[in-house]
Amino acid sequence: MKNAKLWIIVAAVIFIAAIVWCVIIITKPPGEIVTISQDGETLYTLDLSEESDRTITVEYEGRENVIEIKDGRIHMLEADCPDHTCINTGWLEDLPIVCLPNKLVIEFADESGADAVAR
Amino acid sequence: MKAKRLALLGLLTTIALIIFVVELRIPNIAPVPGMKLGLANIVTVYAVYHCTAKETALILFTRIILGSLFGGNMLALLYSLGGGIMCLLGMLLLRKVIDEKHIWVCSVLGAVLHNIGQIIVAAAVMQTAAVITYLPFLLVSGCVAGLLTGLCAQLLTSRINLNDF
Amino acid sequence: MGRFFVSQAVLLCLAALLTSCGQSEDNQTVDTVSEEENSTSMFAMNTYVTVTAYGNDTEAALSSAEEKIRSLESLWSVTDENSEIYAVNHSGGNPVEVSDETAQLLDFSLQMNERTNGAFDISLYPVLTAWGFTTEEYRVPDDDEITQLLERTGVEKISLDGQTVHVPDDMQIDLGAIGKGYAGDLVAEDLKQNGVKSALIDLGGNIQTVGTKPGGESWSIGIRNPFGEGNFGVLEIGECAVVTSGGYERYFVEDGNTYWHILDPETGKPAQSGIISVLVIGAEGRLCDALSTSLFVMGLDRAANLWRNSDDFEMIIVTSDGGIYITEGIEDDFTLSKNFSQPEVSVIRR
Repeated sequence: MKNAKLWIIVAAVIFIAAIVWCVIIITKPPGEIVTISQDGETLYTLDLSEESDRTITVEYEGRENVIEIKDGRIHMLEADCPDHTCINTGWLEDLPIVCLPNKLVIEFADESGADAVAR
Repeated sequence: MKAKRLALLGLLTTIALIIFVVELRIPNIAPVPGMKLGLANIVTVYAVYHCTAKETALILFTRIILGSLFGGNMLALLYSLGGGIMCLLGMLLLRKVIDEKHIWVCSVLGAVLHNIGQIIVAAAVMQTAAVITYLPFLLVSGCVAGLLTGLCAQLLTSRINLNDF
Repeated sequence: MGRFFVSQAVLLCLAALLTSCGQSEDNQTVDTVSEEENSTSMFAMNTYVTVTAYGNDTEAALSSAEEKIRSLESLWSVTDENSEIYAVNHSGGNPVEVSDETAQLLDFSLQMNERTNGAFDISLYPVLTAWGFTTEEYRVPDDDEITQLLERTGVEKISLDGQTVHVPDDMQIDLGAIGKGYAGDLVAEDLKQNGVKSALIDLGGNIQTVGTKPGGESWSIGIRNPFGEGNFGVLEIGECAVVTSGGYERYFVEDGNTYWHILDPETGKPAQSGIISVLVIGAEGRLCDALSTSLFVMGLDRAANLWRNSDDFEMIIVTSDGGIYITEGIEDDFTLSKNFSQPEVSVIRR
């Protein structure tokens, strides 16, 4: 039986749940430990509160990403990928900065950034 | 397959491709990778309700592959394919339970599946779960974009009948 | 013409897929300090042990470390009939000659008992057994039983003369609350003797490091959230030991009450000091291990007093009402996780 109403409700629930999820992500206070990883491998683990202003260049298949740390914040300064979405993301806040073509991720670390866990 | 039918499918593919290429020209300022209107999917949604499963798949995949070539971004192809496959399978199933008067619902759910597919591919390619954080934002934009494309397709449905040709 | 269209589409598909495969298999160049990383894991001392060493040619050092852990386990196991501790516990009250390592560990355990005013007690094994923590057949013993069992405890009845131990007939000792910490010390020493400059030893959550990370970075150690999944913070450390004790490690629930494995030597019951987890950081694993258990028993105030009278450790205490207390020496090395709901950290000062 075709029951469109049911599916309208399903779509509405997904939409509302997605909004709630967005709000949860946005309201999360940012951390200070940042990891930069490429292809699933962590290249750098940085404590933004202790980092001095500098740029980091990461190479991938001849293409370059330039990451800038300034005033305890981090963002993608330059990328020679076609879409530049990672630059548009701006300073690292709620959403991880992702460069899809160069497989680069800048994100706040939680437990995964630790070398080991004391328990 | 009749030549006439093929010509029609070719026409639909071309329309989709043109919409896609035109949309590429609009500068993408979205902070989230993969976030876009996806207007070319008007054709996909339309095809789901007016063509066979095989025909729809042909239109969609040809558009995605040619579109990636024209756009010059072969990596984007992977994400589009991941999203496209999820979206296509989902909508082909949904057309059995959602009637033609509610194409927009089918389109919204298709967009949701497209986003999930994209994220799965992205997580696999990047080997990180970090991209899942993007999913809710993609879902919200996907619902809106899906609604828009769905309504456009609905408009077309009531005005164009492929069998008239 | 139709055929042509279809076959062209298929060809394009193939061409596109092939290009994308070729891209993803290319090698990447990464400009970071690349040091060889080797690790070995094993099940020993009732827990999962991982030793990771950084640098070139560390394989020999790792297998030596593995041997060391195995040999210490065979000395200190309470259940292994060939262990020295088993021999001590089944001596029938006669003096037993033990190895140098065991004698030193026993000596240290007796010192720690004194230093913690009895909160650290290796003679609680009979009581621990009555609660079922040694066999996982949990039960709540009644007060009479506990009173009787407590008569069979008391570190002051144990005597150690050089490498000769005397434990009365009805008593049993157990090095579970200190053995892993001491093992960490000895393994770290062993690794250093074998030329390892940078290593991380994880004895089931007891962490001991050698040197710093390759490149001079400090180690970041996650700290287990006692109230749920994940970590509640991260600690940046150099060369040292980090040991935690918590009610979440081993416990059972009966009639709505939670009973954990850390017993108060005075009552013979799970310690109810208001503390839910303790982290101790210091140069010596044995000290950290012994203190983490005894500070848990002592409670926040007595623990803070002990810390004020010492200079060989720092600590982080989480109380059962969600308070986080950290000593001033590691204030700057600790970062509270953004996922942890309790935003307040109190600093204990001298």
